[in-house]
Amino acid sequence: MDLKLDHRTEDRLTIVEVEGEIDVYTAPRLRELLIDLVNKGNFHLLVNMEKVDFLDSTGLGVLVGGLKRVRAHDGSLELVCTQERILKIFRITGLTKVFGIYASVEEAKEAHGRDK
Amino acid sequence: MTDATDVTGDLAGIRDAVSVRLPAASAYLSVLRTATAGLAARLDFTIDEMEDLRIAVDEACAMLLRHAVPGTDLIAEFELTGQEMSIRVEVTTVGIAEPKRDDFAWMVLTALADDVDAVSSPDHMAIVLRKRRGAARPA
Repeated sequence: MDLKLDHRTEDRLTIVEVEGEIDVYTAPRLRELLIDLVNKGNFHLLVNMEKVDFLDSTGLGVLVGGLKRVRAHDGSLELVCTQERILKIFRITGLTKVFGIYASVEEAKEAHGRDK
Repeated sequence: MTDATDVTGDLAGIRDAVSVRLPAASAYLSVLRTATAGLAARLDFTIDEMEDLRIAVDEACAMLLRHAVPGTDLIAEFELTGQEMSIRVEVTTVGIAEPKRDDFAWMVLTALADDVDAVSSPDHMAIVLRKRRGAARPA
């Protein structure tokens, strides 16, 4: 399965919907989207990983790269993920401590609203 | 008349060797992941163990592809013996290339496989990983 990407902005939060497999072949498309969003002034990103079937370290690298970019603008990059097999990769690499990880888009939006 | 089920035999008796040759290009990694899961299913690996193997093979190949000579092939050799799957993935390189051992890819690979070895020789680089069914995971 290929990678499907979509995004929408609600209030000041840009929600990136990711569906499919993030690997060394498809990750550059996610990287380009994140860079494009930041270049267009979207500094608060929420990446919804609930429909991601596969994630490897290349995908992690892209998310960390995105986080560095938004932080340079005092922004945020957070994730929605409840899938154990995806969370496992974040745990192995210690990235659960780096990203805010929420159980749903609604939960993330609420937390984001509180932080503003 | 003999019982046809005898042909498959007991799981412990399985000894399969499977080679897969693909272009050394990232677009083909999803094919190799699927083959890995299919072979792991033959050894009755759990869903979690199959997923670990799929990711480990992907990480090993992604590391190799950084060094692979364009236009050459990636060769994956799977050996299934009883409780264990051993996978050797290899590419053609220019000179001797070593995998980076301080990045996310190596961290994930070594966490998910039971054993990992990198083998470099002039013009070739290989990673060998092994995973046993039902092996206790190090903390």
